[in-house]
Amino acid sequence: MADINAAFKAKMVQRKWAAMGVLFLAAVIFPMAPGVESWMASEATLIIMYIMAAQGVSILTGYTGLVTVGHGGFLAVGAYASALSTKYLGTDLITGMFVGAAMSAFVGWALGLVFLRLSGAFMAIGTLGFAFFVGTVVNNVPIFEGREGISLPKNHVIGFEIGDIGFYYTALAALGVTTLFVSLLVRSGVGRAFMALRDSEKAAEASGVNRVFYRTLAFSLSAAVTGVAGVLFAHYVNYVSSEVFADIWYSVDFLVATVVGGSAVLLGPFVGGLFVAFLPTFIELFVDQPGDLAFIIKGGALIFVLIVAPAGVVVGLVQLFRWLRGKLGGDTQ
Amino acid sequence: MTSHLRCDEVTVRFGGVVACNKISLDVEEGKIIGLIGPNGAGKTTLFNVLSRFQDCDDGHVYYRDQQIDAKNTHDMINLGMARTFQNINLFGEQTTLENILIGAHHLIGNPYSNMLWLPSARRNERELTDRAVEIAEMLNLGDELDNPVKNLPYGHQKRVEMARALAAKPEMILLDEPVAGCNDEETAELKEIVKRINSELGITIFLVEHDMAMVMTVCDYIYVINFGANLAQGTPSEIQSNRDVIKAYLGEDDE
Amino acid sequence: MRSFGEWESPVFGQLLISGLATGSLYALTAVAVVVVFRNTRTINLAQGDFSMIGAFVALVLIKSFAFNYYFALAGSVVFCIGLGILAERVVMRQIADSDWLTLFTATLGMYYILHGVAGHFWGRDTKAFPLTFDPTPINVFGGIISQGHVVNMAWAAAIGLVLFIFFKYTKQGIAMRAVTDDPETAALMGIPVRFIVLLTWGMAGFLAAFAGVLIAPIIYVSPEMMDEVLIKGYVAAVFGGLYSIPGAIIGALLIGICENLAGGYLGSHFKTVTAFAMIVLLLAFRPHGLFGIQKRREV
Repeated sequence: MADINAAFKAKMVQRKWAAMGVLFLAAVIFPMAPGVESWMASEATLIIMYIMAAQGVSILTGYTGLVTVGHGGFLAVGAYASALSTKYLGTDLITGMFVGAAMSAFVGWALGLVFLRLSGAFMAIGTLGFAFFVGTVVNNVPIFEGREGISLPKNHVIGFEIGDIGFYYTALAALGVTTLFVSLLVRSGVGRAFMALRDSEKAAEASGVNRVFYRTLAFSLSAAVTGVAGVLFAHYVNYVSSEVFADIWYSVDFLVATVVGGSAVLLGPFVGGLFVAFLPTFIELFVDQPGDLAFIIKGGALIFVLIVAPAGVVVGLVQLFRWLRGKLGGDTQ
Repeated sequence: MTSHLRCDEVTVRFGGVVACNKISLDVEEGKIIGLIGPNGAGKTTLFNVLSRFQDCDDGHVYYRDQQIDAKNTHDMINLGMARTFQNINLFGEQTTLENILIGAHHLIGNPYSNMLWLPSARRNERELTDRAVEIAEMLNLGDELDNPVKNLPYGHQKRVEMARALAAKPEMILLDEPVAGCNDEETAELKEIVKRINSELGITIFLVEHDMAMVMTVCDYIYVINFGANLAQGTPSEIQSNRDVIKAYLGEDDE
Repeated sequence: MRSFGEWESPVFGQLLISGLATGSLYALTAVAVVVVFRNTRTINLAQGDFSMIGAFVALVLIKSFAFNYYFALAGSVVFCIGLGILAERVVMRQIADSDWLTLFTATLGMYYILHGVAGHFWGRDTKAFPLTFDPTPINVFGGIISQGHVVNMAWAAAIGLVLFIFFKYTKQGIAMRAVTDDPETAALMGIPVRFIVLLTWGMAGFLAAFAGVLIAPIIYVSPEMMDEVLIKGYVAAVFGGLYSIPGAIIGALLIGICENLAGGYLGSHFKTVTAFAMIVLLLAFRPHGLFGIQKRREV
């Protein structure tokens, strides 16, 4: 029984890496493929940013078990950190990403400390409060220019100006880095510590896991990844304003992406990010004025996934695949 | 006799109730020491005080003569003390191997190198995994390594708990009712494992148990508590013939 | 926010009383949140939208069917109870045994659906809700307050009383408390847990209707109208540890008062954040809310 499991699992792991490899290859070729217009590359960039943000959420929610409805706050921190750095220090996009990540990591660490004793529903409300708090700061503290916002110069990477396509590739590269980071993290001892805290705090502590250290670390890393996504959001439109970044719906969207895709699965954020980012555009392909219909479909799809595949689409598909295999009477190789 | 773990007049109060009243005991290094007592005697509370899951209101706890009253729960592994849980506290969705590996958490080295899989961490991980597999095989869990533990039979789960404690390279393991809910076969298995851990690996064992047969045949020395206080202590044969102990368990029987 | 009268400078007493008035309306949402959560472990994000739909239904009944206010309110109550029951039957029942995140996200799905439905049938723009009460402010304890506020508080108090009687003296109320405390034992004792759950969601709808219709004249009717109220309701519920109804009510009143004071003395854009500043501070020091039940450490 275990042997079959192990072999099957190994194969699934291989398949997973193969799938990701193919995905990345496709993503690289994408803008250059025939028939692909520039708006499609823009759309793809948006999807990439959502995927990254969802990856951040998955570190905290999926692997450490702390539900966050406030990651929009870290998106904002990253965005504004990079915006200010770009405007006042003339840094380029790559530096901006490091600045955004560092700032978010710090804020995440601090928040983890403040919310040390929270869990479950209280953590969710607390993080929502955090998102609102960031929104208020951004709206009222002068340097952030509130609703007026900050306009950013055209994006440049190490001296070279990059257009939309260049931005797409930069975002893709960043996604590659974050994906690598998350995959390493998840299989490491630190990842095990996170999951131990998620599954049983008592047993984790009995095994030597320092709750304070690992909780704040989880917050920190989770915030950093979403912070980088925030940097991308800012430079995507070369503009930051509280109108956009004080909007708490990002937080909700990122959580939805994580839950729909699968919160503790590497491919989860990809599926979830695609769902959340692409749905409005997708509906627009069929209906002229989506508006309300988009809401209804989003809600319906969400509920449908939760009923049919509560552990997320990716896990649901894997189970479906296994079931089909069994039905078709294939060999258990 | 070298004291491995010792508590001195430990008192714990929950509101108006005194769960532990000046309890003292001394666990000798290298031995298997048992703690028994009727239900509600305060065993669980004392166990939690010793493993630093619970603070005491009075009295002190010493690990190798070092006072540990203020130590954090997660520091105990570093000192060399591991524990198991009465109602198995495993990470259900995770595999046997993953559960055992978390036991070795304090050996992962620098967390930052670890999460980035730097070369030194990579070697370390491999070692930890090899050791975990070894431990699993020692406890006859070799076939279940990739199975999520929630799928394992109860007796196997108990062994995984034990394996997880062993993964920490402990000097001492505290066992919380190790054979609770086990049938005869599982009990016999676990008893053998406890004996082997002690004799082959030299690990000191402190256990709380209700199963008298198991306690009497496995322990070198036994402490008995009742109503939150020390009642008796001695070797198994001494305890078995101790009047007060018999009375405590069976009530005021006729002489 | 439309005011029932113009005041030149903020006066403490007035801010306090009108804060109490809006707070008592937040309380309706907060109590619904608590009741649903403690009976079903569900954080109901759609609670606000139940109210929103209730407000729209009342509006339609008044405008298109020339119902009078009280009949419209009654109609809305009936509709919302039905809506709550529908939500339980169609959605929540399918995932009844899931973890709380799944339940939470499902209610989010309902939120989106209700938003879309409202927008589709009634449009996204904000509509005025006809004033039923003479907007002339009256003098109460030295403070000036509108009649509407007084009526709202009266309704809220009346509902509070009804709930109190329900939980203490009726068979269903007592049964519901049993389910709250220990669903397994309650089931073993023959309490129809499924029915209680249905009742719970029906109650959520009942409270939602009042919350929506009573607040409609103050904040205009639109699909987004209850978003902020929902969040404040949640913060208030957290005050009660998501478990205690009196705690939630006190929390709601506190929020109403504090945000009014903040708005009056610090500026209107500080109003929204007050609730959140309060909750972040509270949770940092009391992770289970002010009146929450601390689970005893069981090892």
